[in-house]
Amino acid sequence: MWASGSMETILSLSDVSWRHQVRDFSSWKPWAKRDGAGIYSVDLEIKSGTILGLIGPNGAGKTTLMRAICGLYDCEGFDKSCETRRTEIGYMPEQVRWEGRITVNHALKSIAMMREDPVDVESLIQTVGLSSKADQMLDNLSQGMRQRLSLACALIGNPKLLVMDEPLNGLDPLAQRAFSNLLKNLAKKGVAVVISSHQVADLESLVDEIALLHQGQLLIEGSLAKVRNDLGLEDNSGIVDMICSATGIDPEEVSLELSRDSMLPFKSLGGEEE
Amino acid sequence: MNAISLGVQIMKERLTAGRMMVIWPLLAMFILFSSWGLSDPKVTLPASIVIDSAYDVMFVSTAFIIFSATLGAVLISFDGVSRDRLSGVLEVKLSQPINRSVFAKSLLFGHWSAIFLPVMVLNLVSLFVIWYRLDDLPSIEELFIHTLGTALLLLWYTSIQLLASSWAKDMGSSIAVGLGVWMIFTLLWLVLTTVVAGLSGVGVDDLNSAEYVKIDAIMDLFSPNGVYHHLLEMPLDDVDRGMSPLYTSIAAILWSIIPIHLFTRRIERLKP
Repeated sequence: MWASGSMETILSLSDVSWRHQVRDFSSWKPWAKRDGAGIYSVDLEIKSGTILGLIGPNGAGKTTLMRAICGLYDCEGFDKSCETRRTEIGYMPEQVRWEGRITVNHALKSIAMMREDPVDVESLIQTVGLSSKADQMLDNLSQGMRQRLSLACALIGNPKLLVMDEPLNGLDPLAQRAFSNLLKNLAKKGVAVVISSHQVADLESLVDEIALLHQGQLLIEGSLAKVRNDLGLEDNSGIVDMICSATGIDPEEVSLELSRDSMLPFKSLGGEEE
Repeated sequence: MNAISLGVQIMKERLTAGRMMVIWPLLAMFILFSSWGLSDPKVTLPASIVIDSAYDVMFVSTAFIIFSATLGAVLISFDGVSRDRLSGVLEVKLSQPINRSVFAKSLLFGHWSAIFLPVMVLNLVSLFVIWYRLDDLPSIEELFIHTLGTALLLLWYTSIQLLASSWAKDMGSSIAVGLGVWMIFTLLWLVLTTVVAGLSGVGVDDLNSAEYVKIDAIMDLFSPNGVYHHLLEMPLDDVDRGMSPLYTSIAAILWSIIPIHLFTRRIERLKP
C-alpha cells in the first residue's frame, strides 16, 4: 500500500515563522488585528521512515507548527508548496468531533472525494479497525472511534508524511498500543510520522527523534538519548526537566505562564543565549 | 473530483439531517396549501388582486415560497461552515489537496440543492393541484421564469447564509446572523421601504400611489425577495411597476455574483 524507501528528506523547514492574528482590543476599530502567539524561526528536516515526536507544554506552538507543515497556513520557508504538501501529507487534528446523521463510510467517502486519485475506502476502514462501525451514524461513535475515523482520513491518498496532533488522547490503552503498532508499521514502509504530545512518556517507546518546542521556538532536536545527553539529563527526565535545562529556567520558578504574544528570540542552551 | 460531485455528497448529508423533519412539513404546508387555497375559483384576495390563470396562482403563492423556502435555506445553511469549524472537521477538509475555490463552490452547490430539490418537488406537486382545481397549466416560458427565479432566490439566501456562517465563530452568532438577515429582507424590508419613501418626501399614507410604487420598485432591487418579485412580474401584462427588465437582470446578476465571490474569497483565506 505504501512505498518504502531510504531515509530521504521528505520535508525541509528553514526559518519558518507564523504569527496568529488576534483581535486588538487596544484599538477602537473592531476589525483591528495584531500579531499574536505563533512559531518563530523553526528549522527542521523530516526524514522518511522516522517517527518524530513534537514535544512541548500547552501553547508551545505544536499545533501551529503542524498546521503550517500541512499547508493550512500559507507561510514561507518550506521546500515544497502548500499544494504539494497537502497532496503528500496526511493530517490528523486533535479531537475532531465527528457528528451528524451520516455513516462512517459516507463521511470518509466525502473526504476522499477531495483528492484526485481514487481511494479504497473499505480498505482504509479495515486498516483503522472500523469495519464493524462502517454503517453506523457519526452521532453514535465513541471518542475512540472518532479518533480512528480521523486517522483513516489522514491515511487517505497514501501520504508520505503523517502529521498527528496528540492522537493518543481519548484512546484506551489497548487502542493506544494498536495505534503505536500501526505507526511503527507505516514508518517501516517509509512513511515519515510527526506526532505531538505534551508528555515525553507518551512517546518514549514510539519515536525515533524528538523536537522540543517552547514558546513557539524549537529548542533542541535529535534522538531522545542524544537530547537528554546534550542537556545533561537523566534517562527518566520529562518535559519539564528538558525545558528548564534548555532555557535555563529554575524548576522551582516554573509558572503557568503561556507563550507571550510579544515573541522575542530567546533560544538558549543551558541558560546561555545562542 | 469536482464541485458538483462533492456538492452532491454535501446535499445528501443535508437532506438526511434532522432539521429536514421540520423543513419538509414547513415547505409542504406553505407551498401546497397556498396553491390549493389560491386556486379556489371563489377565492377573494385583498388589494383587488384577480386570479384567472395558473401562473397568477403561482405568482401570488410566491409570497409563501419567500416565507418558507428562504427560511429553509437559512435553516440548512446557517451552520454550513461554522459547524465543521467548531468540530474540527473543517481542519481535516482544508488539509486535503482540493482547490479552495472548488471547495467553496461545492459547499454552495450542496447547500443550495438541499433546499432547491424539496422546493421543486413540492412546486411540481402544486402544479398538479392547480391543474386539478383550475384546469389550467402555466406556459413553458412562465414555468421557466418561475423555476429560474426560485433557483436564484434560494442561491442568494444560501450564499449569504454560508458567508455569514464562515464569519461566525460560534453556533449562537451563526444562528443570530442567519435569522437576522432573513428577518431584515422578509419582515422588515417593508418598514425600511416606508422610511426611505418618507425621507424622500413620498407620502406613505397611500401605498398604491405611483410615487410610492416607484420607490418600492427601486428598493426591491436591493433585496433578494424584491428582485425575485421583479423577475416573476416579467411575464405578467397587468403588473407594471415601471422597472426596466434590464435593471432587474443587472440586480439579479449582482445578487448572484457578489455574495458568491465574497464567500469564495472567504473560504480561500479561511484559517481553521
